[in-house]
Amino acid sequence: MKKLFALMLAILMVVSLAACAAPQEATPDQADTSSDFKMGVILIGDENEGYTYAHMQGIQEAAKALGLADDQIIWKYTIPEDETCYDTAADLADQGCNLVVSNSYGHQSHMQLAATEYPDVTFIAMTGDTAKASGLPNFCNAFTAVYESRFVSGVVAGMKIKELVENDKLEDDNFDADGNVKVGYVGAYPYAEVKSGYTAFFLGIKSVYEKVSMSVQFTNSWFDLTKEGETANQLISQGCVIIGQHADSTGAPSAVQAALEAGDTCYSIGYNIDMLEVAPKGALTSATNVWSVYYTEAIGAAMKGETVPTNWAKGYADDAVAITPLGESVAEGTQEKVDETIAAIKNGEIQVFDIDTFTVGGKKVESAFATDTDGDFVPDADEAVFDGYFHESYFQSAPCFALDIDGITLLN
Amino acid sequence: MANVATHKEPLVRIAKRDSIPFWKSTIVRLISIVLALIVCGGIIYLLVKVNPLEVYKSMVEGAFGSFSKDYKFFNRRTWITIRDTMMLLCIAVGLAPAFKMRFWNIGAEGQILVGGIATAACMIYLKDLPPVVLFICMVVTSLLAGAIWSFLPALFKAKWNTNETLFTLMMNYVAIQLTSFFVALWENPYGSNTVGVINPTGHEGWFPSVFGQDYLLNVIVVMIVTVGMFIYLKYSKQGYEIAVVGDSENTARYAGINVKKVIIRTMLISGAICGLSGFVAVSGASHTISISTAGGKGFTAIIVAWLAKFNTFTMILISMLLVFLDKGAIEIASKYDLNDYVASMITGIILFFILGSEFFINYRMIFRHKNKEVQ
Amino acid sequence: MQNNIAVKMQNITKTFGKKVIANKNVTLHIEKGEILSLLGENGSGKTTLMNMLAGIYYPDSGSIFMDNDGEGLKEVSIRSPKDAYTLGIGMIHQHFKLVDVFTATENVALGLDRSIAFNKKQIATDILAICDKYGFKVDPDKKVYNMSVSEKQTLEIVKALYRGANILILDEPTAVLTPQETDMLFDVMRNMKEDGKSIIIITHKLNEVLAISDRVSILRKGEYVGTVDTADASVQSLTEMMVGQKVTLEIDRKEPHDKKERLVVKDLTCVNKYGVTALDNISFTAYGGEILGVAGISGSGQKELLEAIAGLHETTEGSSVQYIAPDSDEKTELIGKTALQIKNMGVALSFVPEDRLGMGLVGSMGMSDNMMLRSYRKGFIFTERTGPKKLANKVKEELEVVTPSIQTPVRKLSGGNVQKVLVGREIAAQPTVLMTAYAVRGLDVNTSYTIYGLLNEQKEKGVAVIYVGEDLDVLLALSDRILVLCDGKLNGIVDARTTTKEEIGLLMTHIREEAQNNG
Repeated sequence: MKKLFALMLAILMVVSLAACAAPQEATPDQADTSSDFKMGVILIGDENEGYTYAHMQGIQEAAKALGLADDQIIWKYTIPEDETCYDTAADLADQGCNLVVSNSYGHQSHMQLAATEYPDVTFIAMTGDTAKASGLPNFCNAFTAVYESRFVSGVVAGMKIKELVENDKLEDDNFDADGNVKVGYVGAYPYAEVKSGYTAFFLGIKSVYEKVSMSVQFTNSWFDLTKEGETANQLISQGCVIIGQHADSTGAPSAVQAALEAGDTCYSIGYNIDMLEVAPKGALTSATNVWSVYYTEAIGAAMKGETVPTNWAKGYADDAVAITPLGESVAEGTQEKVDETIAAIKNGEIQVFDIDTFTVGGKKVESAFATDTDGDFVPDADEAVFDGYFHESYFQSAPCFALDIDGITLLN
Repeated sequence: MANVATHKEPLVRIAKRDSIPFWKSTIVRLISIVLALIVCGGIIYLLVKVNPLEVYKSMVEGAFGSFSKDYKFFNRRTWITIRDTMMLLCIAVGLAPAFKMRFWNIGAEGQILVGGIATAACMIYLKDLPPVVLFICMVVTSLLAGAIWSFLPALFKAKWNTNETLFTLMMNYVAIQLTSFFVALWENPYGSNTVGVINPTGHEGWFPSVFGQDYLLNVIVVMIVTVGMFIYLKYSKQGYEIAVVGDSENTARYAGINVKKVIIRTMLISGAICGLSGFVAVSGASHTISISTAGGKGFTAIIVAWLAKFNTFTMILISMLLVFLDKGAIEIASKYDLNDYVASMITGIILFFILGSEFFINYRMIFRHKNKEVQ
Repeated sequence: MQNNIAVKMQNITKTFGKKVIANKNVTLHIEKGEILSLLGENGSGKTTLMNMLAGIYYPDSGSIFMDNDGEGLKEVSIRSPKDAYTLGIGMIHQHFKLVDVFTATENVALGLDRSIAFNKKQIATDILAICDKYGFKVDPDKKVYNMSVSEKQTLEIVKALYRGANILILDEPTAVLTPQETDMLFDVMRNMKEDGKSIIIITHKLNEVLAISDRVSILRKGEYVGTVDTADASVQSLTEMMVGQKVTLEIDRKEPHDKKERLVVKDLTCVNKYGVTALDNISFTAYGGEILGVAGISGSGQKELLEAIAGLHETTEGSSVQYIAPDSDEKTELIGKTALQIKNMGVALSFVPEDRLGMGLVGSMGMSDNMMLRSYRKGFIFTERTGPKKLANKVKEELEVVTPSIQTPVRKLSGGNVQKVLVGREIAAQPTVLMTAYAVRGLDVNTSYTIYGLLNEQKEKGVAVIYVGEDLDVLLALSDRILVLCDGKLNGIVDARTTTKEEIGLLMTHIREEAQNNG
């Protein structure tokens, strides 16, 4: 009886499947007015994770500014970087979204697939880099010029080092053999985005205090509280005075705060979010993106039916990047120095990757490519060095500076 | 002693049922689902003050598409529900022979992954072959990969009677690390830490559309495996041997069955089909490989196999129910702005009730007052 | 007499599921200082009834009255074994509930109040005091896994007494004992009775009932039949009450004729998986047309003997089992072959193993599929199903197997019907040698005699029957010769027509006693 029942259901299913063999028709919803406008957001995490939270805030601010109602945005949380992303993107398009945004790099190829299938819907893969090469008009990438705020956060760190050296607060193990002050950096992966970030940070420090060297340790994860904390502790025990980071958790600042309380001399420069809550004394500032600037621009364009730029990267000039409020431990005069630096970046006086400020293998860099065209992950097109500096985020929005400059040691 | 004498009869006693008619057990199961929905509704109402009926409607919409004027049943969401059902079913069918033999293959997760790796490797390195040859390569290598992954635990079980539960579980971790290794090897684009979509332009090694449907081939492949497995277990000599070994190894030895051979052979089949589901997952659905290619489905399939009492056709219903719950839960999480832990919670509650209903199917409760009436 | 009653059970009913009525309206009582036998066939509800006294089951309806303070009967409710102990009821189950790795003292201490449980010395002293009083022999420091079955049983009784049991229930206590050990147990029981304890002994062995008890209460199919004073009862009268009809308790044993060698066993030696020698140099010959009984305390090597012949147990070098085919008189060596090879060589060997559902049959399959166990290899890829179906129907009819259908899992059948299925299949294979292990264990009187009849029928057909049994009376009445095993050694082969129970009892134990005397 039971088996018969199961069998019948199974047959029913097969029959119904055969019946539905007719291809489905696409019924794209065209939104002409902004009240019909709908957008979907595909997030790698949820509000509990700093990186995603920053994006959510940016979109919410943009929605407020543009007058988007709550039901015009469909949020999809914790979407992994696999076919789920494609399914979700396609589903959002089916639901009538005119714009679909994903916030993680790994979403990119699945977003691109959806973009091929839905030419009337705009897909934005944040932090991605293949939009231009894909040739799809409805597929875009965007990233802020976060290297600028990293440079400024480097200036904050440099001021602190300078103060510590001048007041003779440092011990022997804080200096390397050549008398440089040791700086540590907790990186996520050895990718261009990270390299560009720490190089900008390092150059920021050097613009204030020349005699520094930096050690970078990768955690091979974007978000790993424990591992980031452990890595920071390792770097602190090696005598690093400043711990920078390109990873999304509060692991490193927490470790710095604990070490500071235990009597070590070390301070943290965070990323994405204000770290003062976990490290009230240890945190100096964090480099952040102001995503709302981009989202306001992109969503606004999409609402009006205008083209969203294929590659978008803006920095201080448009207030798309910033550093968080300075902590109580910063050196005297830091705020003034920061304001001065920002102004200089805005008016072009300071170029972050000025080829006069760094060397590779002891030599000045005369040429470097920005784009990889043959898929071997080595840039081979678009000369980025001209006018005396490396043009970061110029040909594509995603960072592409991948040179290993002198003074920075990779520990793993 | 006085205190003992004043004891009353216990309020509720439990007695085992000897059998229960099919319609009755079906009613018990249906009631359990209804109860589960009521409890979930209550919780959702407490959390977000939304009408539970609306919530259930959203769940159905999550699995079968939004209801609108020009609603079509076979929309994308329905197809994705079907696709995921087929995936889960394929794994559960793979587990069936092993479980019927009382060999607790907890290693489906790993067997899927190695099958998926094999498929992805074919898609990447052999994409210039003619499609038919490429497909044969993918099927054969994924079957082989899954079979190899299950061969080791089976061999150790047969030869030295090691615990297959632990062994297959450990093989999962090896497979996960192996997947990470290949993800790093095939990483595309560099820096994404994912393989990305394989062959996004030429679609080499992708399941072709059948009658214009992208996922119809998944259904066909899995249905062939399901029906085949049903016949194999029920009517073949080997299926009979599996049943005997599963019931009692001593009886099997008594009947002259080579127990070791049956264990190894059955596990090879089980692993091979789990490997094949890795092929269906990679070639037929994701077109990429990552740790989430298995994503816990190898464990969910265990629930499917058990709830279906190893009947491959009942498995269709159970896997559909589980996938429906999953899709529905994701939809309500998105629609009512709950995060997806709420979705997992709802699925958990419903599963709890379904599994709990088995208790009422196997046992009955006897209440005190009812008993007095009998007297 | 009213004030002399210790426990009274009134109108007790207990059902399992809807169909199985284990006890129906049973009313009986036990007096202080008496031994009551509870007699009934397997499945007549004896154990279930007593389990309700011991707090393991709770009656569906009915009441239990007890007189604990000498002030008359009061209704009690026994919800758990703990309640039972509080009321002074202790039950010794067929399967002992002891922790193997603990000593006797530790086992007694288990479940006691914290205050006493850790005072092992005190407990050991108390144990010895109980032993002195009633004549037990227990070594308080001996670990349970080193104990013989009889010692374990004694320990269980001591444990119950230590907890203050006044009413002791013994569930089939003699099933695992030798005749000599049984006598010892009975002596102890009489001592306890003298002391005013009430003892209920569950059994289906009539001789023991007559030997030990004061009164006998009889159950049949869950219902109370009656109680008689032992002095007025006889084996025949008790059997009739128990079975409900007149039964001929005679086994029609014919003189063997045309005896031919069928199985020649030489120097058979087996080592079990723990490395212990289970069979030591066994040599004998089984003849067609004869029933060869095998006697021995359980675990003396019976299982290994049959399994080794059937190709299911490893043997050491030098062992030999030769099978002589009936038509050609050709000799075939069975040692070194697997069960499948033996079958493929055309050896007509049937085997009814001790563990019916765990070895002889597949519990979750129906009769039809179980018939297939011998024949499923026929057919290409798929199993051949019509032959087994026919055979199942034939067995069902001829042996009167009670089953809803031939598809019903045999696990759900009663013990007797399970055995009929198994024996039916093995006989249907037309064996030259038929081996049976405990073929009537747990079966009712009628089914047992059906089985004896079947075996005699086979014997007359010229089959060599090997019958491993535990009931010496049956062995004496059924077999032509009896082979006695003791600790894996062959202690003698005697003529069943001339030997006595005592002689066999001595052969079963004599090596052990010799060893004890020497050591």
